[in-house]
Amino acid sequence: MTLSLRENLHLVTDPRNLDSSVEEVFNMMLGAACRPTELALAEEPETITAVVGFGGLLSGACVFRSGATAALVIAGKLTGMEFSEIDDTVKDAIGEVCNMLAGAWKGGVPDLSANCGLSIPAVITGSNYHIHVQAPEFRLHHVYEFEDTAFEVTIICDGLQ
Amino acid sequence: MSEMRVLIVDDSSVMRKIVERSLRQAGLEPMVVLEAGSGVEGLQVLSGQTVHLILSDINMPSMDGLEFLRQLRGQNLAEGVPVVMITTESSEEHVKQAILAGAQGYIRKPFTAEQVKERVLPLVAAVEGR
Repeated sequence: MTLSLRENLHLVTDPRNLDSSVEEVFNMMLGAACRPTELALAEEPETITAVVGFGGLLSGACVFRSGATAALVIAGKLTGMEFSEIDDTVKDAIGEVCNMLAGAWKGGVPDLSANCGLSIPAVITGSNYHIHVQAPEFRLHHVYEFEDTAFEVTIICDGLQ
Repeated sequence: MSEMRVLIVDDSSVMRKIVERSLRQAGLEPMVVLEAGSGVEGLQVLSGQTVHLILSDINMPSMDGLEFLRQLRGQNLAEGVPVVMITTESSEEHVKQAILAGAQGYIRKPFTAEQVKERVLPLVAAVEGR
């Protein structure tokens, strides 16, 4: 029998799975709480975006985005180091956070866990850029508050079997 | 054993440091840590060095953790040395593949230091008991 996610679309698109995945990663790896917020991400001159692709039953990506302020705090909590700029270690740390978010999110949907692979994280820094996906199947997008900063996590699905 | 020699294989240097910190928090001291950024580098390290424990990621460029493990066992490198996979891939299928390839343990990312301790210390105790 061919496995299809379409019958369980409500599980795949359940926003609570994204929130619990983010909370789990931050609690376990950073020892810090974060919570969803209705606030928009504050604009900063420098932003960082990490992307981990999904392939298999679901194709798409998990995208983490924040300003430099949040990225430095998150990388500091994860590594126990202090950072004053987005260097290679900060990029590595944010890529790993995105990797764990993607893994935790797909692990929350039983059929996805075994039938959807993850790519190696890609990290983009700079300003005035955005990621465009044409006609996604669905998109989950939440902003989270963390230690007086904020970051956003987006799950974009552009193909579903 | 005077000191535990551990190989950590992960393409993320941040994750290698976090795993090392978790091992030290678990009480693995004194410990010498060897690092590799891919399966290929891991095999190179093992061709010239003795280790007592290996922790490896699965998703890595150039050679992933499962292929690293297969080649390690196939080439009889690090014979009898326990290997623990640390990975974001958490399905039963992935665990099964890792065990079939020769892993003795499996830790899902994200993880706590306590989970690392629970999975790793029994393997270390077995190594020390030999």
